[in-house]
Amino acid sequence: MTLQRRDFFKIAAAGSAVLVAGKATASTESTSADFSDNFGVLVDTVACIGCRKCEWACNDQNHLPTQELKAFEDKSVFARHRRPDKSAYTVVNQYPDPDEPDKKFAIKVQCMHCNAPACASACIVGALEKQKEGPVTYDAWKCIGCRYCMVACPFQIPAYEYDNALDPVVRKCTFCYERITSEGKKPACVAICPNEALTFAKRGELIQLARERILAQPDKYEHHIYGEHEIGGTGWMYLAGAPFTTTELPTLTSEPIPPRTEKIQHAVFKGFVPPVALYGLLALGMYTFNERKKKVAREEDRHES
Amino acid sequence: MSHDIAVPVKAKFFTKGTKVVFGIMVAGMLAYAYRLLFGIGAATNLDDQWPWGIWIAIDVASGVALAAGGFTTAALADVFHKDKFHVITRPALITAMLGYTFVVIGLLADLGRYYNVWHPMLPSMWQGNSVLFEVGMCVMVYLTVLYVEFMPILVERFRGKVNLPGMLAKLNSLSERLLTLIDKTFVRFVSLFIIAGCVLSCLHQSSLGTLMVIAPTKMHPLWYTPISPLLFLLSAIAVGFPMVIFESVLASRSFKLKPETNVLSSLAAYTPFLLGTYFAFKIGDITIREVWPFALEGSVQSLMWWIEILLGVLAPVILLAMPKVRASITGLFTAACLVVGGVALNRINVFLVAYKPLYSTNTYFPAITEIMVTVGLICALVLVYRFIVINFPVIAAHPIEQPAMTVGPNLSPVAAKRNK
Amino acid sequence: MRTDRVLYITTLSIALVLLAALPLMAAPTPSNQPTMPNCLDCHTCKNPTPEDMCLKPCPTLQAAHNTRKAKHGLSEAPDTMRLDEIADLYQPVDFNHKLHAGMAQMGNNCGTCHHFSPEGKIPPCKECHMPSGEETNLRQPGLKGAYHRQCLGCHREWSHDTKCVVCHLPTEGKKLAKGVDKTDIMGISHPKTEAPKTKVYTTPYKQGPIVTFHHDEHVDLFGLRCVDCHQKENCSYCHDLAKTVSSRKSMKEVHAVCSENCHATDNCAKCHGMSEKPAFVHAVTGWPLNRFHERLGCRSCHPTGKKIAKLNNECTSCHQNWKPGAFRHAVVGLTLDDTHLELDCESCHIDRKFGARPTCDSCHDDQRDFKKVPPGQYSSR
Repeated sequence: MTLQRRDFFKIAAAGSAVLVAGKATASTESTSADFSDNFGVLVDTVACIGCRKCEWACNDQNHLPTQELKAFEDKSVFARHRRPDKSAYTVVNQYPDPDEPDKKFAIKVQCMHCNAPACASACIVGALEKQKEGPVTYDAWKCIGCRYCMVACPFQIPAYEYDNALDPVVRKCTFCYERITSEGKKPACVAICPNEALTFAKRGELIQLARERILAQPDKYEHHIYGEHEIGGTGWMYLAGAPFTTTELPTLTSEPIPPRTEKIQHAVFKGFVPPVALYGLLALGMYTFNERKKKVAREEDRHES
Repeated sequence: MSHDIAVPVKAKFFTKGTKVVFGIMVAGMLAYAYRLLFGIGAATNLDDQWPWGIWIAIDVASGVALAAGGFTTAALADVFHKDKFHVITRPALITAMLGYTFVVIGLLADLGRYYNVWHPMLPSMWQGNSVLFEVGMCVMVYLTVLYVEFMPILVERFRGKVNLPGMLAKLNSLSERLLTLIDKTFVRFVSLFIIAGCVLSCLHQSSLGTLMVIAPTKMHPLWYTPISPLLFLLSAIAVGFPMVIFESVLASRSFKLKPETNVLSSLAAYTPFLLGTYFAFKIGDITIREVWPFALEGSVQSLMWWIEILLGVLAPVILLAMPKVRASITGLFTAACLVVGGVALNRINVFLVAYKPLYSTNTYFPAITEIMVTVGLICALVLVYRFIVINFPVIAAHPIEQPAMTVGPNLSPVAAKRNK
Repeated sequence: MRTDRVLYITTLSIALVLLAALPLMAAPTPSNQPTMPNCLDCHTCKNPTPEDMCLKPCPTLQAAHNTRKAKHGLSEAPDTMRLDEIADLYQPVDFNHKLHAGMAQMGNNCGTCHHFSPEGKIPPCKECHMPSGEETNLRQPGLKGAYHRQCLGCHREWSHDTKCVVCHLPTEGKKLAKGVDKTDIMGISHPKTEAPKTKVYTTPYKQGPIVTFHHDEHVDLFGLRCVDCHQKENCSYCHDLAKTVSSRKSMKEVHAVCSENCHATDNCAKCHGMSEKPAFVHAVTGWPLNRFHERLGCRSCHPTGKKIAKLNNECTSCHQNWKPGAFRHAVVGLTLDDTHLELDCESCHIDRKFGARPTCDSCHDDQRDFKKVPPGQYSSR
């Protein structure tokens, strides 16, 4: 299903040459920057016990419709795989271990806070924004409600208040932005996690930590930190005891998504040269054809006279 | 060039057919009101997995593509000075102007916060990386340009004729002065705007194709290509003339005018080249990306792709390459219908059929209210077009060729209608 | 001439290329190996010695060192620990330390939970693990995580329950939530475990798929203790209802229990066969055991060495303290009469060969047979 990167650029090279006489420029941001100083969270699904306390803490923190803590002890919700929606920024799903179907492991899903977020690249008004601290935040005041972010997100995270006729907003994990920046606390879900399966720290430290955990228990962990490289890296990363292909986390290449459109975009608008050049070309054409026509008309007049 | 004079068509606004169209439009307006009152969730079948439906795929994407006749015709007649085609620039302009207007109206229905639609104009919210931002800005500017291009028609219709009734009569001189001002500014420099219209069209027609490039993991490989913008631009250019033919034939039938067969078939002669280029790029793209197996996988997607490519592209290329087909109104109309349908289907394919959400448990099919809004908007467009054509000098009928009737040399069809 | 020049140029260019490549070869190749834990993660000084290990207070990187078993008797362990860090939310948890310490004997002793303890002293969890929100070390769970991981590691595995009230009594109401079955994981005393007598395994080994394991034999006869085989098994080994413990072991792991100590030199057929193997009967050694010997474990007679050493069939190899007065002759079925009772053993059993036929010739000249004229009275067998 996914297009091979090689093919993409093969075509892109041919395409851009035809489309405009401009070289594709590298994306202005996100490809070269180092994200190790960004905030991140490491989700150790081996340590996760699927208690769903994080769901409650998230709802509580974000003033989402919620029930009392005890209601989240209900395990029957694991019967199906839920997705984050307008009333839940994070959900925990349970998966059978492929080796031993009786054995279950749980995965918490929420916005991954990508290093190069496709949603922010897509957003027409910059309502979704990658903050320098790492979180991808949403500003409802700017939003026009086009839902292009939902089309763009490779993790299918943003949810929409479809039932709100007046001022619907896009809903997704906020990374407790205020909480972690101005208040200096951990995100609510990390703070409540009883088994400390969630570790909140700088992204660079988390990658180091995750490597150490795999190294210390190589039989226990998959040798893969999900999110270290996926689509250019994500702020939230996962460790697991089973291959990630058995989970709902999509299999992705390390190529960030925004450059795919931004390269085309910036090639077409490079310093506004291509549009202006096209304008000049058409104006010149118009003038030339007009002159030729006048000349023909004059000659005709001469013949007639 | 005296035979190119456009005059308001003398016809009654309401006929039996128009009333039906009017009825559908009212139903569409009700559905629109329903969406405004009760929200997108109530009016559509969209959900978190399927954020975009037919309001984007048809109202916006197809709408923009099918309004391409405006800039292609303008380029042909005004930039390349193929004067023969001046006769169709005004109908094409009106089609584009109304097309884009209804694109915006359709888009407003789809926007959750439609009242914020002006936000992209604020420099503080400019987002240069967003494809949608570029599309939005270009469409806004182009719409303005289209209205500027409409000014000459407005001036021609009203200058020296403003005669407001009663109280408003005081405004007569003011309106007159305003029209003169418009004439001196916009109309004099209208050619600059025409070129701007062409540039803006090229930009956003292609950028519409870039939109879905941001969803590599959700798009079917048959349509996920980095040259999507080029394909969109080529198809928009190719669909421009067939769209003019399509509406021209429809208009002449509706108003009982004699169709401009000569002009239209000359116009259609370009199509095999333009559409053929598009076809070549499309096939080349599939081949270079080595995705032919997906065309043969037997899925709904592959079926839709074949319909799009065979019926919507290849068939009209072959048809219009035949002079015999181009010479007959029926042939022209059939081929034009295929191209228009093919390009519209392409937009629907790219935005809906090719889109596969990661966790969808259902497939999207538009709700009745969605269909009502879309169909209602098309009907509204038809009616406004009819209104403008009846009230403004848009269509130029041939002054000769038929024996003069009672009213005037160029309005014989109306007379014919009266005789009924 | 011409070939000479070609040769010269070729040699020169090869030499140049090699020269250019030299610094490249000398450069260290970047390693893709994941980084080992840093020594300084645990030690405060650069060169720790066994005498002065200069350890940081709580280095928990288990990968760097094996866990150390503190020298600490079970009797010294506290009976109960009161965990009351979140007394504002829940009633304190009374942790039955003694019970768990007892159970830990099956596993890694104190080290099962006290994964790092300096010699001679076992600190409580909170000495190292910081309360929630005050953690400074990413590599060490906070106190909350430390507690929960310790408890839930086992308790969750067999109950699969994550309700708070399973351990934490609410401050109000003082009642457990409905539907919580405490006995599931909190049984005060472990019910009597029943050791299996014989287990028959079917293995993928084609030449002998059937392995018969006589558990009772190993326990009763061979005198193995539970921990000799059941090493590092935590409670969930038996109790996990959903079998979260991997039952898939490598061939080496499967065989290790038997072959590591006892059956190291045995070949496959020792255990593997086409059918069930009978239990060990001493008669196959040529020494059928009488009813007294039958009851004994192997080690009673074969006390030394890993291998069971063959004994000679002299009773005195074991019964070295047989002497008049000390030996109750009646046990062999013959109660000596008063006259014979005082005789030395050698009088009848020449050279103390008790397996050989006793003789009466030392005293009696009539070549009498001890069976016909017994030196006492036979007890009825």
